[in-house]
Amino acid sequence: MLLRLRQVVLAIALLMPGGYVVAGPISFNSALPVSEGVGILRSQIKLVRKTDDPSGQNRDLTVMAVPLVLVYGVSSKLALFGVLPYVDKRMDVTMGTKRIRRQTQGLGDGKFFARYTVYQQDRPGDTLRVAPFAGLKIPTGVHDKRDTFGLLPRSLQSGSGSWDSFAGIAITRQTLDWEFDTAASYRINTQASGFEFGDEARLDASFQYRVLPLSLGDVGVPAFVYVVLESNALWNGKDKLAGTTDINSGGLTWNLVPGLQYVTRRYVLETAVQIPTVQQLNGSALQTDWLWTAGLRWNF
Amino acid sequence: MRILQAFLIMAVLLAAPVHSVLAQDAKRSLIIQVDGLSCPFCAYGLEKNLNKVDGIDSVHMDMKSGKATVLLKPDAHVDDQVLRKAVEKAGFTAREIKRH
Repeated sequence: MLLRLRQVVLAIALLMPGGYVVAGPISFNSALPVSEGVGILRSQIKLVRKTDDPSGQNRDLTVMAVPLVLVYGVSSKLALFGVLPYVDKRMDVTMGTKRIRRQTQGLGDGKFFARYTVYQQDRPGDTLRVAPFAGLKIPTGVHDKRDTFGLLPRSLQSGSGSWDSFAGIAITRQTLDWEFDTAASYRINTQASGFEFGDEARLDASFQYRVLPLSLGDVGVPAFVYVVLESNALWNGKDKLAGTTDINSGGLTWNLVPGLQYVTRRYVLETAVQIPTVQQLNGSALQTDWLWTAGLRWNF
Repeated sequence: MRILQAFLIMAVLLAAPVHSVLAQDAKRSLIIQVDGLSCPFCAYGLEKNLNKVDGIDSVHMDMKSGKATVLLKPDAHVDDQVLRKAVEKAGFTAREIKRH
């Protein structure tokens, strides 16, 4: 059963990326500036549902994650990010004639990373920025929780147990009317207690268009409403258990993410739905139905 | 006639300080043309960094024009270099600073 839960792995991978900064995209990182001495607190709620199980076990997975993100501008170019999620994972599965539930709740794995702006071109009401980032995933979650049926599968644990490094680059062009962001990243997952999740690669893009106000007045800083369309391409490598590759893990997923953002001087409210458009998963995978995100960012 | 004269004298006396205050305000204000500012959420960092500068009383941003109108405290003088540094710390570029 453990080796057949690759869909859970992908669900968690989908839940954990997150867009962490400034206004910008909802589902990934941007290169927009975090001013020196300014902090940003961000919280989101993410829900994912997977119910289309071809295996006959009628698996039904619901994952909720609430990542709390703290960002601080050390300088105009260097920003530090800390992420600590709370996760709740529930999977109903048919075992024999019985319907059982396996679940876990608690802190998930945290992340700490730094982003540095290496290129910046400013014009009136217009900016272009390039910012690489790199960091570590920290095993703050539990990876050895048991229930009445025994040790939970690693993919159902709240944490991975491993210290994993990741790096990437974000590019942003923002004008008063629209914004385009793209980011690419790679995470090298390592072994912990005999289990190793497959590596993860992402390629993301986002286009945001200001729909309100229709035209900008001559004074002040009005609130903006953006319509957002994002694209997440995600590749997961195969997991390894005690050195053996799990052929029923990993694969490719491409999400389209329509969303809405309300942006003011002090806070941002946003919501989006990640719709899996392409899912080429290895083996007999459980397909993702949808993933919903809502969030708040606050400047201080 | 005397009433009219008295009214005119009072009006001049009352208007003079107001005019003087307005003139002082104009002398105390300056405008920074900021490049790269294109989102309301980013404006807060710019205001915060400018407000940290000694001698600045208040900052007013206009998104469309990218202009930050800065009101200085009475008798304060702030160098352009200091203002440019504050804008840079916020992550933007100060293109031009106009003083009245």
